[in-house]
Amino acid sequence: MKLSLDRRTKILLIVFLVIYVVVGVLNAIYLSKQSMSEAFKNVANRWVVKLPFGEGIFSRINPLTIFMTWGIMLIIIVIALSFRKPQIIPDRKQSALESLMDFVYQMVEDAIPDQRFVRPTFYLACTLFIFIVFSNILGGAIPGISVEANAQGNVEKIYLFSDTWFSPTADINTNAFLAVFVFVISQVFAIKSKGFKAWAKSWFEPIPLMFPMNVIGELSKPISHSLRLFGNIAGGALLTYLLAYMAKYFFLPVILWGFFGLFVGVIQALVFTVLAIAYISSALS
Amino acid sequence: MENGPTLAEALIQMGKFIGAGICMGAGAIGPGIGEGHVGDGAMQAMARQPELIGVLTTRMLLSQAVCETTGLYSLLISILMLFVL
Repeated sequence: MKLSLDRRTKILLIVFLVIYVVVGVLNAIYLSKQSMSEAFKNVANRWVVKLPFGEGIFSRINPLTIFMTWGIMLIIIVIALSFRKPQIIPDRKQSALESLMDFVYQMVEDAIPDQRFVRPTFYLACTLFIFIVFSNILGGAIPGISVEANAQGNVEKIYLFSDTWFSPTADINTNAFLAVFVFVISQVFAIKSKGFKAWAKSWFEPIPLMFPMNVIGELSKPISHSLRLFGNIAGGALLTYLLAYMAKYFFLPVILWGFFGLFVGVIQALVFTVLAIAYISSALS
Repeated sequence: MENGPTLAEALIQMGKFIGAGICMGAGAIGPGIGEGHVGDGAMQAMARQPELIGVLTTRMLLSQAVCETTGLYSLLISILMLFVL
């Protein structure tokens, strides 16, 4: 395969690589002097800001999650705007996106029994997949600015390009929101498809004694759904940080980022999407 | 012995390390067995129908990623035990 880049891309790539190598060498000189317990003291703390209004847990936000979520949304909107006029003969980017959507559409069409809900489910599944893929790859494979916080949630240090960007899916709140969203949508689709009576009756099947079991079975779906993504992405980020420290930032942990960001990230996004489709189809049937 | 850790601190450290080791070691058994079963089934299916290798590989990776989840939970917990507690 021959790679052809135009002038602008080449200049951007060279500038990025120079910044990357210089910052990597500086990090290797400076950060490997820290002792291990000092480097991992704050590895599980998050930057927390208290809002002036509201009370309890509803007044605390993680600003990094919000910035990164909005950033990813902006990127996706820009990409979507560049595809406003689809060509009949697709170019390279358009055919890649088309084959992705075709892949998701095939899965949805095979799984959903009710024809009326194929298109809404396809929109939902595609949105989930694209958002999660972008955030996983950003959080796992692209070096960026990361913030270290102390136990009270205040900012202690800001690192440039020694760690990856903070992924929104490494925060349990984002994942829990997505999973609860899928759960609510599956129940709404079930009510619309079967009617309220049949939906209410489906909780008491096969015998009325099984009602608590059905409730627990349904409620455990969003929990395992969200924790799976959270565990993979947060664990991958932690492990990347740990192994990069152990290698003293010597070879610039590109390989780790490739594995945990690209491979695990894409697989987990696919798993999340497939499970969302499966939950919706099991609620519909 | 003036500057060394007290007995209580040493016991806490010991508990952390033993707990993290047991957590990761025991948590790796389940995913190992599960992924082995998935790989076994996929290999047999591929040997029987080599023309389906593309589809089978995707499905195999998908179900292995689902199996891996519990192992990752224990990894997360053991890392948190070591560095946070």
